[in-house]
Amino acid sequence: MATSFVLRQAAAHAERTPSIRFIGKRTTPASVDHTPQPHPASPTHSLPASFTSGSSHSSFSAYRDHAQQFGPLRKTIKADAGIGGSPASRLGPVIPPQGVAFDRNDLPPRFHRQPLTAAEIEAIETGGATLWA
Amino acid sequence: MLSQRLIGRAAVKSAFKPSGLPSIVSASRWSRMYATEAERDLVIIGGGVAGYVAAIKAGQEGMKVTCIEKRGALGGTCLNVGCIPSKSLLNNSHLYHQILHDSKHRGIEVNDVKLNLKQMMKAKEQSVAGLTKGVEFLFKKNGVQYLKGIGSFQDEHTVKVQLNDGGETSVKGKNILIATGSDVTPFPGLDIDEKKVISSTGAISLEEVPKKLAVIGGGIIGLEMASVWSRLGAEVTVVEFLDVIGGPGMDTEIAKNIQKILKKQGINFKTGTKVVSGDKTGESVKLNVDSAKGGKPETLDADVVLVAIGRRPYTANLGLENIGLELDERGRVIIDSEYRTKIPHIRCVGDVTFGPMLAHKAEEEAVAVVEYIKKGYGHVNYGCIPAVMYTFPEVAWVGQSEQDLKKAGIKYRVGTFPFSANSRAKTNLDTDGMVKMLADPETDRLLGIHIIGPNAGEMIAEGTLALEYGASSEDIARTCHAHPTLAEAFKEAAMATYSKPIHF
Repeated sequence: MATSFVLRQAAAHAERTPSIRFIGKRTTPASVDHTPQPHPASPTHSLPASFTSGSSHSSFSAYRDHAQQFGPLRKTIKADAGIGGSPASRLGPVIPPQGVAFDRNDLPPRFHRQPLTAAEIEAIETGGATLWA
Repeated sequence: MLSQRLIGRAAVKSAFKPSGLPSIVSASRWSRMYATEAERDLVIIGGGVAGYVAAIKAGQEGMKVTCIEKRGALGGTCLNVGCIPSKSLLNNSHLYHQILHDSKHRGIEVNDVKLNLKQMMKAKEQSVAGLTKGVEFLFKKNGVQYLKGIGSFQDEHTVKVQLNDGGETSVKGKNILIATGSDVTPFPGLDIDEKKVISSTGAISLEEVPKKLAVIGGGIIGLEMASVWSRLGAEVTVVEFLDVIGGPGMDTEIAKNIQKILKKQGINFKTGTKVVSGDKTGESVKLNVDSAKGGKPETLDADVVLVAIGRRPYTANLGLENIGLELDERGRVIIDSEYRTKIPHIRCVGDVTFGPMLAHKAEEEAVAVVEYIKKGYGHVNYGCIPAVMYTFPEVAWVGQSEQDLKKAGIKYRVGTFPFSANSRAKTNLDTDGMVKMLADPETDRLLGIHIIGPNAGEMIAEGTLALEYGASSEDIARTCHAHPTLAEAFKEAAMATYSKPIHF
């Protein structure tokens, strides 16, 4: 009797599962929710409204006033005109009507063909020979 | 000529490309590259523990990082005027005190023991200089750009730097980290002059041992400095508003124990006492104190008064108004769980934001914040940040205290083991103190560990690891600990928690 009790006790020890958890090599979770959450040590356990609204700016226009991309953004948004000044739906169809073709020169200047310089024209005409003259 | 020819060749190449645009595109690409190079991946304001650790980590992650520090030496409060110099003084003053009062019965007779305070301060300065220079070396090793000056926000991406050597510059950052730390909370009506009324900064560089030192505040800083100057010969009185010393987080039983031990060492305590006013116009400083509840006015006389009532976040001259960042009611920068302010690319870590003002907490956050920026994921366990008071014996704890658990209505089991029953402590003749463990009565999972004892600050590392990995007291008790060591007291306390200790 006593022996079997001791054996049972020994088996129980052998099977004891430590409560310690070995996590192994840490990896970045596949998906992380980056929605602002209160900091764990925050005494209020809450975030001010400026965090939870998803943006510190009250409107897109206010955001553009602060946003930067290689310097401040250009102020092209105006109520009356300019890019973004009116909804795209109001600008009419993108596809030209039947029998009409849009001219490249009607596009904004950055889409125009760049003029060739005299040297480039000469180089093209001589097959590049003038470069070596 | 050569350059003209090269331009010509490039032009021909581009002319043959179908779109006709490349020459323009390539020019703008060059200018873009220039702009990107000028913009840093991370700009850190503050070169204290939080700032410099983040800078090194960011450098290791391959980011272009700039760290701005106004002190002229890296390491912040901790390395320059906090943890490090105070530990030098604590260690050397303990040696002095031990040689003077504790060597005879150990069989060591030393005659003509004298204090050379100047040399003690020099030893402290050498430790500080060595460590701050070491951080500067690590900056170079990890490619961190170091700007010495005061950084302030010009706009959301630009930090203006008033250079210490004169002049001004600015640096642009894709991400900006506020790590400006904290400074001493002043006592209203008692100006800190660092001579007669001192802060912790003045307390580590007094030119002579004051006859009488009064300490306002019985927290960790106050008690450590009280220990230093008491050991060196000052008559020290600690005035604490609360009924217990030790500050927030310290277990009340442990706090009462350490108070008894420190009292035995010669430090006087006035707990439950408030300082009403102070007057430093005379030769000494007079402190008018009263019972916290009122009705027992008294005047304390001291040559030097140490103000150690806490620290406050430091955001002066940071230009937060230029970017519209608000602070909470205690002056902390408000952040979310990923250390972002309401302007997501501006983040904040360390003393200047939430959580305990501890250097190791700041270090953890510094690594995590860089990981959030770089990998989108970081980790700090705020339930598992150890705290240490470097008196003798040391006090250290991690996790929850007994009063925390009672307040939260969490059931717990307690196990304790005194150092008076530990063989190594006996041989060292340092038997003051105990290890106390708190565990869940059902799962046995550790909830908190509290230690008073020699080297408690080192021993708490084992407890912190156990707590971090969710260990039970039995897990610790079943782990073999070397004999004879102080750490056996730790194991025995664990045994006492889940079962019974062998040696007590």
